[in-house]
Amino acid sequence: MARTKTRVLLLATVAVAGLAVTGGSAAGQGTPAKSDAPPKAYSPPKTADGQPDISGMWEPGPGRPMEKERGGKPWQPPAGASGQNGAAYTFFPPGTQLPGGRSADRSAMIVDPADSIIPLQPWAVTRRDEIIEKQDKVEYLDPRVRCIQSGVPRANLPVFYNSYQFLQTPGHVIILYEWNHMTRDIPLDGRPHLPPQIRLANGDSRGHWEGNTLVVDVTNFTDDTWVVGHGAPPEGAPASAITTGHGVVHSDQLHVVERFTMTDKDTIRYEARIEDPKTFTRPWTFALEAFKRGKPDHQLFEYACHEGNRSNVLLSTGVDIEK
Amino acid sequence: MRTRSISSVAAALLAAAGLLYLSGETPSAQGQTRPIPRNADGKPNLQGMWQVVNAASWDLEAHSAEDGIPGGLSVVEGGTIPYLPAAVAKRNENRANRKTADPVGKCFIPGVPRVTYMPWPFQIIQTPKYMVMSYEFAHTQRIIYTDGSPHVDALDFWMGDSRARWEGDTLVVDVKDLNDKTWFDNAGNYHSDQLHVVERYSFIDADHLNYEATIEDAQVFSRPWKISMPIYRRLEPNLQVIEYDCVSYFWQKFIKPPTP
Repeated sequence: MARTKTRVLLLATVAVAGLAVTGGSAAGQGTPAKSDAPPKAYSPPKTADGQPDISGMWEPGPGRPMEKERGGKPWQPPAGASGQNGAAYTFFPPGTQLPGGRSADRSAMIVDPADSIIPLQPWAVTRRDEIIEKQDKVEYLDPRVRCIQSGVPRANLPVFYNSYQFLQTPGHVIILYEWNHMTRDIPLDGRPHLPPQIRLANGDSRGHWEGNTLVVDVTNFTDDTWVVGHGAPPEGAPASAITTGHGVVHSDQLHVVERFTMTDKDTIRYEARIEDPKTFTRPWTFALEAFKRGKPDHQLFEYACHEGNRSNVLLSTGVDIEK
Repeated sequence: MRTRSISSVAAALLAAAGLLYLSGETPSAQGQTRPIPRNADGKPNLQGMWQVVNAASWDLEAHSAEDGIPGGLSVVEGGTIPYLPAAVAKRNENRANRKTADPVGKCFIPGVPRVTYMPWPFQIIQTPKYMVMSYEFAHTQRIIYTDGSPHVDALDFWMGDSRARWEGDTLVVDVKDLNDKTWFDNAGNYHSDQLHVVERYSFIDADHLNYEATIEDAQVFSRPWKISMPIYRRLEPNLQVIEYDCVSYFWQKFIKPPTP
């Protein structure tokens, strides 16, 4: 009865592959972000109820660094760094073929503020440094390594182990995420947000179309996800060198405005404006080509994250979920 | 001119159905029997929030109440599950250890059909080629293909692989590729990875579905058997999926939240 096992997430995959397509490389120098340019004019066909048709199978777009180095100085791992400790530098060496590719454009995704640095409040900087220093302790584990839903906008950052299906019904856009079987139903009828007492990991989404751009207002978040963030940083790397957004926490005041715009028939530009006065000194915005058209016969497979997370849970809590 | 008048009636009906499809809502007309909602293509429209209200998730068979467990009638046709004699012992062992051994207690994806009658609501989203069932429990997701595509081969899934077709007004979902790690209920009723489930969803009226699941697993049962129960529409306006993020509650037992 040796059948192929469910496509589950193994610990090794989580730990090492926590590293995303967005890359852990301390790049981020150089040219201004290209996504800063306004979206190109492209008019997709319309659905039966008159929405721009954004439906279909989508795969992660090419990855880029989230922000610039805080110290302004690139850091290189010690010679011989390998495995998880060197993951950010060795797991995806330049030239590695990834589903969405690794963008040749190594500019930071943050388009506002102009310095491309996440405007963290002092306590959030301290928290982030702690997370990077103590990342293997249970209190500091990346929530996604614990198989908590990724939150928004993090859900839309390219990682090679995710893909997406967009559906449209009259008055709704639905986004299905392969990673951790997440579903977002975005009503477009102007109904109010849920009452503030109700908190959701992926927040509460309300959308509308502005021309060909889907604008989604997301509130009612919990405070136990990360805003952005990718990858286990290499051991010994100073927090100031990490450009993936790793360890950027938020409060329950988080408010995200997302903008999905097709720039050609195979590309969705994604922009997120992030506001949380408890955590950030000002709102900030990043943008990237987050979604590339998948093959028509692409299917989302079940991503049983927690169910396959036995070793990680055992290591962190002493509990064997298979007993 | 008779033909023309019939076709204009048909056109009007079609337009009305189209409007219904566009609104995505069930028309409300209190005190009257509302028609089954249908899409422009004539197929029943199952969209909405639904929930089973019974004790099947604790035990498919008739059982008394116990501490924390509601009593309930059997949902199994004929009353009892036809185990092979050699397969009963494992069910009994499961049952004896139910407090710690139930996979759902570890926040594992519940499998099919159990996910349907968990005591949480779920949403059905319907397009011509795909139905999505989005369950509150552990944000479990099913993508059900109604485009005639075949099952995937050689993989096992906690929720199986669902391919559906319409038989008249009944949605018939064929579920294969299930693993052997889920239970049918908290009472330890179980299956092997040879499980094959055929679900049938059909409207009783605009706000009630009849749900049937035929269960076949020659390694564990002496013959195919069937469960059935109503599914109730949740009528609260603007109700939406409010995820029960089981895994985060699991981890909270081990993590002291930081104080910002």
